[in-house]
Amino acid sequence: MRLLLSDNLERSRGTVFFRLIFALPFLIWLTVWGIAAVFVAFVAWIATLFEGRPPAPLHEFLSRFVRFATHTYAYLNLAAEPLPTFDGKPGYPVDLEVEPPVPQGRWSVFFRLVLALPALLLLAVLFGSGSVGDFTFSNARGGLGGVIGTAALLAWFYTLVRGRANRGLRDLAAYVISYGAQAWSYLLLVSDEYPDSDPLTAIGPLPTRSDPIRMEVSDELRRSRLTVFFRFALAFPHLVWLTLWGVLALLTAIVNWFAIVFTGDSPQWAHRFLSAFLRYQTHVLAFLYLVANPFPGFVGAAGSYPVELHVAGRTQQNRWTAFFRLVLAFPALMLAGAFSQALLVVAVLAWFASLFTAQMPLGLRNLGALALRYQGQAYGYVFLLTGAYPYSGPCHEVAPAG
Amino acid sequence: MNRSRVPALAALLLVAAAWAWGAQALWHSTELPSLDLAHLDPHDYFSDSFLDRSATYERFLTILSLLATATVVAVLAVYARRGEQLARESAAGRVGTGLLLAMLGFAIVWLSQVPFDLASLWWQRRYDVSHQDYLRHLLDSFLSLGSEFVFLCLSFAVMMGFAGIFRRWWWLATVPVFAALMLAFAFLTPYLVPNTSAIDNPGLVAEARALERIEDAPEARLRVQEVHKFTAAPNAEAAGLGPSRTVILWDTLLRDFEPSEVRLVLAHEVAHLAHDDPLKQVGWMAVYLIPALGLMALLTRRRGGLARPEAIPLAILVLVVVQLLATPLLNTVTRRQEAAADWAALEATREPDTQRWLMQKLSEKSLGNPDPPSWVYAMFENHPTIMQRIALADAWAQRQRDLARK
Repeated sequence: MRLLLSDNLERSRGTVFFRLIFALPFLIWLTVWGIAAVFVAFVAWIATLFEGRPPAPLHEFLSRFVRFATHTYAYLNLAAEPLPTFDGKPGYPVDLEVEPPVPQGRWSVFFRLVLALPALLLLAVLFGSGSVGDFTFSNARGGLGGVIGTAALLAWFYTLVRGRANRGLRDLAAYVISYGAQAWSYLLLVSDEYPDSDPLTAIGPLPTRSDPIRMEVSDELRRSRLTVFFRFALAFPHLVWLTLWGVLALLTAIVNWFAIVFTGDSPQWAHRFLSAFLRYQTHVLAFLYLVANPFPGFVGAAGSYPVELHVAGRTQQNRWTAFFRLVLAFPALMLAGAFSQALLVVAVLAWFASLFTAQMPLGLRNLGALALRYQGQAYGYVFLLTGAYPYSGPCHEVAPAG
Repeated sequence: MNRSRVPALAALLLVAAAWAWGAQALWHSTELPSLDLAHLDPHDYFSDSFLDRSATYERFLTILSLLATATVVAVLAVYARRGEQLARESAAGRVGTGLLLAMLGFAIVWLSQVPFDLASLWWQRRYDVSHQDYLRHLLDSFLSLGSEFVFLCLSFAVMMGFAGIFRRWWWLATVPVFAALMLAFAFLTPYLVPNTSAIDNPGLVAEARALERIEDAPEARLRVQEVHKFTAAPNAEAAGLGPSRTVILWDTLLRDFEPSEVRLVLAHEVAHLAHDDPLKQVGWMAVYLIPALGLMALLTRRRGGLARPEAIPLAILVLVVVQLLATPLLNTVTRRQEAAADWAALEATREPDTQRWLMQKLSEKSLGNPDPPSWVYAMFENHPTIMQRIALADAWAQRQRDLARK
């Protein structure tokens, strides 16, 4: 199963403005189809237990349902422009490639509902809480629920202003839709493959960026069971220290704001202090949420941690955007908040996975790293360490030339 | 003798002399009349069935406690040998890695204590002394590790930081810092006790103020702690320094005891504040820390001293063993303070009969053995035994009769 993305980011302001209303018929149809899909999935479950693979007609019915859901969600969340068709046929700009039915392990089929629970938990936080019980109306009902709901709202404003979709927000929505499609395919026996939450492999070629605040991950996925078991307690002294440091960072950020508004430049000491704070915060959160394994130091030393936030040196900033920084940062902080919920679920799932296997699943680690990177960029923007707006989509990162 | 060692030895002698002077001054600061307490027979005060029941109850807990202690020492001995391997889980520097090893040491101890902890809770629930849910108990204990680790990190950061600066003599520099931290903690303790609220019984508050006047104690805050969901046992404590001085009564005490008995408990706690016992406890901890940290410094030298994170697992073992060995001595100190508070409470209330009933009732409510074996008394009891406290009431009454005859 693979997500195919051929959307060109072009959007019509008119259809974007009325997107929710235009999507309503598709959501109603999705609900009706969803009810039928539950019954069909139950029949497919019994048949697969006996036959070892889902019958082709049932598989086709369920595949089309998941594909139609993918199209509908892509349309609703502004990840694609054209109206989808009602039959779930391939050819939409955000499409799903589904393989024909293959043999599935009977034990995994028998316990499919239980096995799918962790994936559904992650799906709940990515899509908003409505998605577990009700795949169809979660966005319409939950409004800003989850990562995708927040990204869609921001994309709505962005597209209305610019007449074009934002690449980061579009890719983020496509990633979440891809994960949703995988999760429901797994639950409905369309696929035997466990959903992969890795944002770096979900949607095909990703952009390569060199943002002023970027993340470098050199973590080797090994986890110590002992430190994983006591992770929260071990991180607690860091959280206390981070809070104390945070008070000073806030005061420094205020001084920094005045300095940039009046001179356009940040004092060297303030930039250094806030960079160290941001690095330290990333180290601590990476440790707490199991995105990294080792116990971090208490000073946020550069290059000391396998999940490292690189902050570029200070540069001249636009005084007007600095003056309105808090207002401008509000959308980014909203998305950072949605990411922090995803981080929490990543940590819970990773806690169990790491305790059993002493390994962090790659997909969860990379999702956690994406969330931490976005938060780092968002707080860096708030603290005026950079004038570059946070990039929300998954991407490859390289150090800036020179 | 190497001449260069003479100043060091002189300094050590000076420290030892100051230590001895401080210990004896602290000891004598708690005044207790010289009494020859009679050894009372518990059968005269308690039924046979209760004595059997409490002895069975306490025996199990004592055995459990001994097994738990042996397990702690064994686990820490293994950790002292192998714990340094866990340094690979750290990306922190020297001190940070030391803090991780310290926390992991106590985390492993916590894990090793879970079976004993659950067995103890099971036993207390069986005898209706505790009502706490197993899962809640375990979860609370697990989550409280976080705050314990904060204090642990603070302590080891101070020790390792000073060990990096003062090398062999870090332990002497550390004691004043720890004393200051303990003072701060003693001040804050009343504010950290959970589920407390002001006592809304004006009569009881008036009693407390009257007792404070009689016992020449400063005015203290009066709080009640809600514990009845977890335990049926009664208790009270005096904590705090200066403006934070507080008497905390458990709601089980207020619920199940007569006003005259509560008044006596109040008088006892007010006496602790009048005697400055919370402050003296800080003094005693400082007295204890000087040899304890000195020993830790001496024994960790083989591993490069406490400045090195590799020495931390051994340091924790030393700390725990020293603490175990010192417990009987520290218990002697607290028992003396408790006896002095009992005496002051009798002087204030002049009700020896209430003291006898109260002790009987306390024993019955908490299923405490009124006359435990001597070794249990020495190792575990930080209060005089129930029979000693009843004997104290008898002695006070006898003294009043003697005075009246004169």
